[in-house]
Amino acid sequence: MRQYLPFVLSSAVLAATGCNSIHPDGAAATLPGEELYRSCEPCHGGAGEGNPSIAAPAIAGHPAWYVEAQLVKFRSGIRGAHPDDYEGLRMRPMSRQLYTQAEIKAVAEHVSKLPVQKAAPTITGDAAAGAVSWGTCQACHGVDGKGNPAVNAPPLAGQNDWYLLTQLKKFKAGIRGTNPDDTTGGTMRPMSMTLADEQAMKNVIAHINTLSR
Amino acid sequence: MISKYLEAGSTYAGDIDSLILLILAVVGFWGLLAEVVFFGLIFKFAEKEGVKALYVTGEDPKEKRWVSIPHYLTLIFDVMIIIGALRVWAEVKLDMPQADETVRVTAQQWAWTFTHPGPDGKLDTEDDIRTVDELHVEVGKTYHFELASRDVLHSFSVPIFRLKQDIVPGRIIKGWFKPVITGTYDIQCTEICGIGHGLMPAKIVISEAGKHQAWVKANAGVAAVAAPVSGSTGGMP
Ligand code: HEC
Ligand code: HEC
Ligand SMILES: [Cu+2]
Repeated sequence: MRQYLPFVLSSAVLAATGCNSIHPDGAAATLPGEELYRSCEPCHGGAGEGNPSIAAPAIAGHPAWYVEAQLVKFRSGIRGAHPDDYEGLRMRPMSRQLYTQAEIKAVAEHVSKLPVQKAAPTITGDAAAGAVSWGTCQACHGVDGKGNPAVNAPPLAGQNDWYLLTQLKKFKAGIRGTNPDDTTGGTMRPMSMTLADEQAMKNVIAHINTLSR
Repeated sequence: MISKYLEAGSTYAGDIDSLILLILAVVGFWGLLAEVVFFGLIFKFAEKEGVKALYVTGEDPKEKRWVSIPHYLTLIFDVMIIIGALRVWAEVKLDMPQADETVRVTAQQWAWTFTHPGPDGKLDTEDDIRTVDELHVEVGKTYHFELASRDVLHSFSVPIFRLKQDIVPGRIIKGWFKPVITGTYDIQCTEICGIGHGLMPAKIVISEAGKHQAWVKANAGVAAVAAPVSGSTGGMP
């Protein structure tokens, strides 16, 4: 018997290597939002505070309806699929880690429950001049910048200011909000046109920085 | 020979397959033989009642032969494989046949942007067609490609062409292919490039001249076309 031991052992190893075929077909079970959020942590941070070095914005406390809508947009190529949307193209594949509508809802729900993180200002501008431009914006984003679900406008107060600037530039350049299926982005795009140049954008952002959430 | 079982999409795919087959045959034959000898010796000299273990120094020419003959054979077969490999290397990497068209491939974390020349056949003009995650080519045409990265190392791999080329940030790396079949096939990144590495698949659409030209006409100068993820809302139920 003992002389067959090498043969038995090597067969056992061969058999074992063929046994690790677990298929994550995803559709099977919906994970809880907290667990799904782990795949977002490397960029958006454990507390959803965002990370400027990867250009990932704060999402903690964002309303669930907005997070859900954006995730669906990223997934279906309505946002973050323009060749010049460098950061959006980075978020796009991440949205594909969510397999079902139920998973998107679950993670959006979890994100909305995270306490809002106060972002430190990095942009300086003429807040007084910005307050004038804000007159246009508040119709949708609210006087205090807390957003308005009735017009699909997200909260802007408390958001990373560098992120607000890149988004305004993207809207204006037609990198975001130009997809024919992007109806809500399509309403925001003409608004970005009301800001004449980068300085005007910085001014309105300086005003947003004075609003608290 | 193997093309009956494995689709070959480019002019050089078959030659690369033959090379791999050659390596498989050489290494496979001698590898199996070595295992047979190895296990044969293990069973032949297994522990036996009343026989003492013997220390072998390997100085006796009769014993040394077990090492030196395989050694020389290895060298001979190595040369065989190297000659085969160099011939394919020259064909795929050193030769650059005249291009009918040039496409630009830009990789980033984690997407592919393809720039097609548009109806005028020239890059960097108004009618260029840029797409995300979808490359369109015409069957039977010779293409040059220019690889660029916006951030880190990536690798442009088109399995149906047996093509794989690293992309190095700061450099433009050129190569070529000539599709010989039509259909839609995978493009993948084959260099770990961050947490989204496994999530950056793209497609190559190889069409007949008429169909391809129609696509070029329809998309010429359109700012951007993103490949839809299969199904609505990205294939979600
Ligand atoms: C690889 C880094 C990365 C990971 C992982 C990641 N994201 Fe993002 N995310 C980004 C970047 C970068 C942006 C900004 C895109 C832009 O500039 O348009 C973004 C944007 C977003 C936005 C839009 C925010 C807004 O105010 O419009 C939401 C919502 C979002 N991510 C949710 C998630 C969720 C949920 C996950 C986990 C499933 C996740 N992200 C994982 C990088 C990441
Ligand atoms: C007509 C309503 C409307 C007005 C007015 C408006 N917005 Fe918006 N804004 C929206 C909507 C809707 C969205 C969400 C777009 C989407 O779903 O992608 C948005 C999104 C944004 C975003 C991106 C937020 C994020 O988290 O990604 C910024 C930044 C922004 N708006 C700034 C402004 C500024 C600054 C003004 C004033 C100049 C303004 N908006 C005026 C409707 C409006
Ligand atoms: Cu890559």
